[in-house]
Amino acid sequence: MNAMRRTAFALLAVLYVAVPAALGSNNYLMGLVVSSLIVAGVAVAWALLGNLGGMVSFGHAAFFGVGGYASALLTMKLGIPVLLAIPLAGLVAVLFSVAMLPALRLSGPYFALAILAYAQIFRILATEMEFLTHGSGGISQIPVLPTIAGFDLSSRTGQFLLLLTLLAAFLAAYDAIRRSHYGIALRAMHDSEDATRVVGVNSVLLKSWMLFVSAFMTGVIGAVNAHVINFLEPDYAFSGIWSVLPIVAAIFGGYRTVTGPAIGAVVIYLVDQLVFKALVSTGHQIILGSVLALMILFAPDGLLPLLRNALRRMRGASHA
Amino acid sequence: MLELANVTVRFGGLTAVQDISFRMGGDQVVGLVGPNGAGKTTLFNVISGLVRPASGSRVLFAGGDITRLPLHQRARLGLGRSFQIPQPMHELTVRENLIVAQRFGAGRVDPRKIDRILELMDLTDQAERDAANGLALQELKRLEVAKALATEPKLLLLDEVLAGLETVAKRAFMAKLRELHETLGLGILIIEHDIETISSLCHRVAVLDFGQLIADGTPGEVFSNPDVIRSYTGAEPVVENAGVGHA
Amino acid sequence: MSELVLQALYSGLLVGGVYALIALGLALTFGTMRVINLAHGELVLLAAYMAYMVESRLQLNPVFAVPLAVLVACTCSALVYLLVDRIRKNRELNSLMLTFAIGIVITNAVLLIFSGDVRSTGSPFMQDAVQLGPLFSMKSELGAFIISLVLVFALWQWLSRSWYGRAVRAVSSNRDAAKLMGINPARTELISFIVAGALAACAGVALYSSSVVHPALGHALTVKAFIITVLAGVGSVPGVLAAALLLGVTEAMTVTLWSSALQELVGMTLFLVVLLVLPNGLFGTARRRG
Ligand SMILES: Nc1ncnc2c1ncn2[C@@H]1O[C@H](COP(=O)(O)OP(=O)(O)OP(=O)(O)O)[C@@H](O)[C@H]1O
Ligand SMILES: [Mg+2]
Repeated sequence: MNAMRRTAFALLAVLYVAVPAALGSNNYLMGLVVSSLIVAGVAVAWALLGNLGGMVSFGHAAFFGVGGYASALLTMKLGIPVLLAIPLAGLVAVLFSVAMLPALRLSGPYFALAILAYAQIFRILATEMEFLTHGSGGISQIPVLPTIAGFDLSSRTGQFLLLLTLLAAFLAAYDAIRRSHYGIALRAMHDSEDATRVVGVNSVLLKSWMLFVSAFMTGVIGAVNAHVINFLEPDYAFSGIWSVLPIVAAIFGGYRTVTGPAIGAVVIYLVDQLVFKALVSTGHQIILGSVLALMILFAPDGLLPLLRNALRRMRGASHA
Repeated sequence: MLELANVTVRFGGLTAVQDISFRMGGDQVVGLVGPNGAGKTTLFNVISGLVRPASGSRVLFAGGDITRLPLHQRARLGLGRSFQIPQPMHELTVRENLIVAQRFGAGRVDPRKIDRILELMDLTDQAERDAANGLALQELKRLEVAKALATEPKLLLLDEVLAGLETVAKRAFMAKLRELHETLGLGILIIEHDIETISSLCHRVAVLDFGQLIADGTPGEVFSNPDVIRSYTGAEPVVENAGVGHA
Repeated sequence: MSELVLQALYSGLLVGGVYALIALGLALTFGTMRVINLAHGELVLLAAYMAYMVESRLQLNPVFAVPLAVLVACTCSALVYLLVDRIRKNRELNSLMLTFAIGIVITNAVLLIFSGDVRSTGSPFMQDAVQLGPLFSMKSELGAFIISLVLVFALWQWLSRSWYGRAVRAVSSNRDAAKLMGINPARTELISFIVAGALAACAGVALYSSSVVHPALGHALTVKAFIITVLAGVGSVPGVLAAALLLGVTEAMTVTLWSSALQELVGMTLFLVVLLVLPNGLFGTARRRG
């Protein structure tokens, strides 16, 4: 385990240096990488709720959109500094997720679709509350990320480093929760909820916490995204794509693993933008849909576990 | 310690438990007997919070009314139970099962105590196995008791944990239960079909039949009660088979 | 004012009839297989575009597209069943994601083939107005409503009278017991999906004839159908009809009295309230009786 953690740190250090060094001069590619990390952040948050909380959500766009709008409004209307507004936006997303607590009592599919309904409702509210959100016209000129100690976070490289740091923090938090006693109890709840509750586990409370953590992470990413692209409109901020892409990415990478969803997101997003979009410009989501369908049918555990097993088998064969 | 007042449970049209009032002290070992479908497990479910009784029913434990208390809070108050059909926590090892029970039921983590429970329940060798897929039935039943013990209960509800054991193993298990009762001062309410077992283990026996409490007293009194003989011994052969059938 | 309200009520009822047809297919497959087919609205969409194709390429009235639409929608629906049936692990949620994925594929296939433009019938016959007292509608709206009601009624009779209907109920309440009674659950489920496809086909043609269609509509229709299914409570055909009419009327009233932007909001809110407060749906008792 320790070896794995060391590898993870080494890999992170390499990414910090190597990606900007290799792509830093190419604004377009770097922009794609930044976007892929945004998807990765949401995918990790989605998978945390799915894997630990046992709840599949079809509406993470809700938190993404709330986070984006919250940060934009906090900075523009209240003049709060961007780097403070981002975590606050995460908390606002948590506040909104409180409205979803009653849905925790619903069984899997109903929960998934209830969250979808929440996302739609939030989108409509964002459109209708014109005094606050400028309605469907959207909010433009959202402040860019600041310069810290002479380092410009609003440059592509700066955005990349900020998002990579956030992603690493999310993954570390996810892993810590998973290993904690709470994580073990949550794992037990998947298939044996009564047996777990009867020994004293407050299942509703634990699930609520997972919903909060997931909402916070998604809200933070939505906020960063708002300051990266500097423009928000309801149909974009609450777009179904923020619900769909993380699902595809997490399933692709393996939503029962910690790193799978993040890796899956980067791979899926980059391949989608660089290859699929070149092949079919409108309707390239047809390929995302196909990937999701094929994964569910043939490798529901995702590619990462599949690769790991294949590697183990190869090693076993070479030892024999 | 535990008091049931006018407890009734209905499933649709079926009345599984009918107006039962019952009270036991924390220093007692009480047997709960009755033919199949009498409502014994349902009564356990009411006490532990898995089944909501009809309005008017009251369950009191450790001096408080727990009728509307959620499952997990009852466990923390000191109610430990086993399931007739073992329900290990899935995706967890045997040791992790006990860790969760201890951490959330007793509110603390004490690895040495878990080792002691494992040893007491003869599960030391199985500690790192997958609880849901790696255990034989008797091991699962012992895990049921071990989980309940890990929550550091004041009252233990045991649902047919002795069924299906051969004589020697059964005696050994009974000795352990007696020891738990004596050393920890643990109250025990145990469902068991075998009259001999009940008579040697319990100070007191309560008999359920068609959801009603038809007798309550010392084993000697109860098993000489004509009503009990009618309802119970008549059903005994069937009951024995059922006990094995559960195994 | 009251005339406006009356007109909204009427238009809402007419739309609700088509909603019922759409929701019934979803409810049927959900009832038999406990699988929420999130590609159901996309089947309706596909059928609507078949109608568009027949009208624009062959210059025929969209009604003549029904056979083609039935063929396409039934084939796709059966395909959905066969794929869902392959899922072994965590079926409830994986089938949800699989059908969701299939929905994305269909929507984008439609987008690729027919472009994202909004389409509606050009047939003057369909667009003619009919007057019913003070109430106005297009011929096609009234026609779609009547055909929907007839189909809903036919399905109801079929489910409650026929051997197959009993088989469906047996399979949905207890798959293993149904097997012992000599019912082939797989075949029953397949038939459910094919029937659902046929319903979707009729709904799609009706929708194209009486309203406008565009690729993103499929997902919205799935959501509507699911809302109706939840409102109705599982397993009751009259419940589905009532819930569909309720949704249609509520939406139309919202548009008239409030704003068209809030139309969706009302449906979603109704859905959440019922989901969270009434686990048996609005017509839960009807379900037990039916
Ligand atoms: N969740 C439930 N829903 C409907 N009926 C139930 C439920 N649980 C139990 N019953 C019914 O209640 C009655 C009592 O069941 P219970 O399991 O309490 O009996 P028991 O005394 O434990 O029997 P056994 O000796 O077989 O374990 C039975 O008729 C049973 O079918
Ligand atoms: Mg029992």
